[in-house]
Amino acid sequence: MSGGMSGPIRRSASARRLVAIGVTLIVLLSPFLWLLQMSFKSNDLILQFPPPLIFTPTLQNYASLWQGAFPASFVNSLMSASFSTALALILGVPAAYALSRWAGRGKHALSFAILVTRMAPPIAFTIPFFLFYRWIGLLDTVTGLVLVYTSFNLPLVIWMMQPFFETVPSSLEEAALVDGASTRIVFLQIVLPMVAPGIAATAILCFLYAWNDFFFALILTRTNARTAPVAVVNFMNYEGWEWGKIAAGGSLVMAPVLIFSLAVRRYLVSGLTAGAVKG
Amino acid sequence: MSGKGLVDAERRRFNVFALAPSLIVLFAIAGLPAIYLVVTSLTPFQLVNPGSSTDFSSPLRNYRLLPDDPRFVNSLWVQAKLSFWGVLFQVLLGMLLALLLHTQSRVAEFARTFFLIPMVLPPIVVAIIWKLIYTPDISPLYYAAGLLNIAMPSLTSSVDFALTAIIIADTWEWLPFTFLMVLAALQTIPDEFSEAALVDGANRFQIFFYITLPFITPILVISGMFRLIDSVKAFPLVFLLTGGGPGSVTEVTNYYAYLLAFDFNEIGYSSAVTIVMLLLVVAVSFGVVWMGRRREAMA
Repeated sequence: MSGGMSGPIRRSASARRLVAIGVTLIVLLSPFLWLLQMSFKSNDLILQFPPPLIFTPTLQNYASLWQGAFPASFVNSLMSASFSTALALILGVPAAYALSRWAGRGKHALSFAILVTRMAPPIAFTIPFFLFYRWIGLLDTVTGLVLVYTSFNLPLVIWMMQPFFETVPSSLEEAALVDGASTRIVFLQIVLPMVAPGIAATAILCFLYAWNDFFFALILTRTNARTAPVAVVNFMNYEGWEWGKIAAGGSLVMAPVLIFSLAVRRYLVSGLTAGAVKG
Repeated sequence: MSGKGLVDAERRRFNVFALAPSLIVLFAIAGLPAIYLVVTSLTPFQLVNPGSSTDFSSPLRNYRLLPDDPRFVNSLWVQAKLSFWGVLFQVLLGMLLALLLHTQSRVAEFARTFFLIPMVLPPIVVAIIWKLIYTPDISPLYYAAGLLNIAMPSLTSSVDFALTAIIIADTWEWLPFTFLMVLAALQTIPDEFSEAALVDGANRFQIFFYITLPFITPILVISGMFRLIDSVKAFPLVFLLTGGGPGSVTEVTNYYAYLLAFDFNEIGYSSAVTIVMLLLVVAVSFGVVWMGRRREAMA
C-alpha cells in the first residue's frame, strides 16, 4: 500500500517544488531584470508608472554611450584585465607546477601567505600603490592597473592551478624523464597540454576579478586609464541623473562577465575559497 | 645512482626557475606594499605636508589615537552589524535555497546556473541595480508601496533603514555563494541515511535536524567565515548607495579608511586603521585555514 502511494506523492511534491523554484528565481532576479529592461527605455518611459508591460525597445541609451568617452574606458578595462591575466599566467603556472610536485617545508606557509593576499581588503594595497605610483608617475596608466591586478591574480593562479597539476599522473613524467627529456621539456610538452582546460578556467577567473574591480580603478585612475565600472559611476555624479545611460552602461559592464562566468561556473567556488578548502 | 642524482639536481634547478619569478614579483607587489603600509602607519603622514612621511618621532601616535576616535569605534560597530546580519541571512537563505534546489530534476539543474547571477555581477553593477530600486522616482518598489498606500521612507537616506538597505543588497549579492557551497555539501550526503530514517518512521523535519543539518554544519560555518572575511570589502554598495551616511550610520571601517586617506589626506592615520582591519582579517583567515585542515583530517 505505502509503496504504491509513494510514487505519485513524490511526483506531485516535485511539481510543487518546481513551481517554488520558478517563483524564487523570478523574485531573486527581478532587480537584475529591472536594470536590463531600463537600459532599453527612453528617459520618459523610465519615469512612467505603472510601468508599461509592452514597450518598443530603443537602443538610444547604448548609442549615446557609444558617442561619449565610454568606449575608451571599455578598452581600458579590456586591456588592463587581459594583460594582468596574461602576466599572472606566465608567472604563476610554472610556479604552481613546481609547488604541486614539491612536498617540502614552507608549502603551508606559502599557502597561507597566498590566502592572506587574497583576503586582504583592497584599501591595504591601495595606499602604498597610490603613494608609489604618484612618485614614479604610474597614476592613471593602464600599466599601473595591470600591476595592481596582478597582485591578486598571481596568488589566484598559483592556488587554482595546483589541483589541476596534481591530476596529471607522475608516471607519465617519469617515463619521459627516463627517456632523457629535461624537466622543462616534460613540463612544456607533456604536462602543460594536459592542464589546458584548467588554464582556460583560471584565465577566465583572473579576467573576471580584474574586470570587476572598482576600488583600485577609482583611486589609481583619473581620465586616461579610467575603466568602465568607474565611467558608469561618473554618469551619476557628473552628468545628472541619466538613468537610461546608467542602466545601459551597467548592462555593458556586466555582459562579458555573465557570458564568461557561466562558462566556468564549476570553478567559481574554488576561485572564491582559494586557500582554505580544496577546490 | 649518480644518474638519479643528476635528475634530482636538474629538477631542483627547474623548480627554482619556476618559482623564483613568482616569489620575486609577489614580494614586490604584495610584500613591499604591506611593509610600506606598516611604516606609513607609524608616521603622521599627510599628503600636503611632505616632511611628515618620514617623521618617526612618535611612532605609536596613530594607534594611541584609535580607541578615542568615536568615528573609528563607530565604524567597527557598523561593520560588525553589517557583517553579522549579512552573514546570518546569507547562510540561512543560502541553505534554504540549496535545500529547495537539491533535487534530481533537469529543470532544477538548469535553474541552478541562473541563481548564480547576482554573485558573478561586477559589484558596482550590483550597487547600481540597488540604487535603481532604492531611488523613489524610478523604483518599482516605491510604486508598489504607493499602490498599497504604504508611505515608504527614502531607505538609503533614513537613519533607521540605511544600514538595512545595504544589508539587503549585500545579502542578495552573496546568497548564491552560500547556496553553491551548501548544495555541494548536500550532494555528498549518502542517500542511505535518510532512506534508513524514513523506514524507521522519521518525518522530514526529523531527517533535516538529525541527518542533514549535522552533515552540512561544517560547510555552513566555513562559508559563513568566508563571507565574514569578504564582508569587510563591501565598498561599492556603501560608496554608491549611502556614501557612509546619513551621518556615519553606514560608515564601515573600510569606507572610513578610504575617506581618511583620499578625502582628508590623513595617509598615516588611515594606514593605522587599515592595519587594524588587516589584523582582524588575518585572524579570521587563520581560523578558516585551521578549520579547513581539521575537516580534511577528519574526512
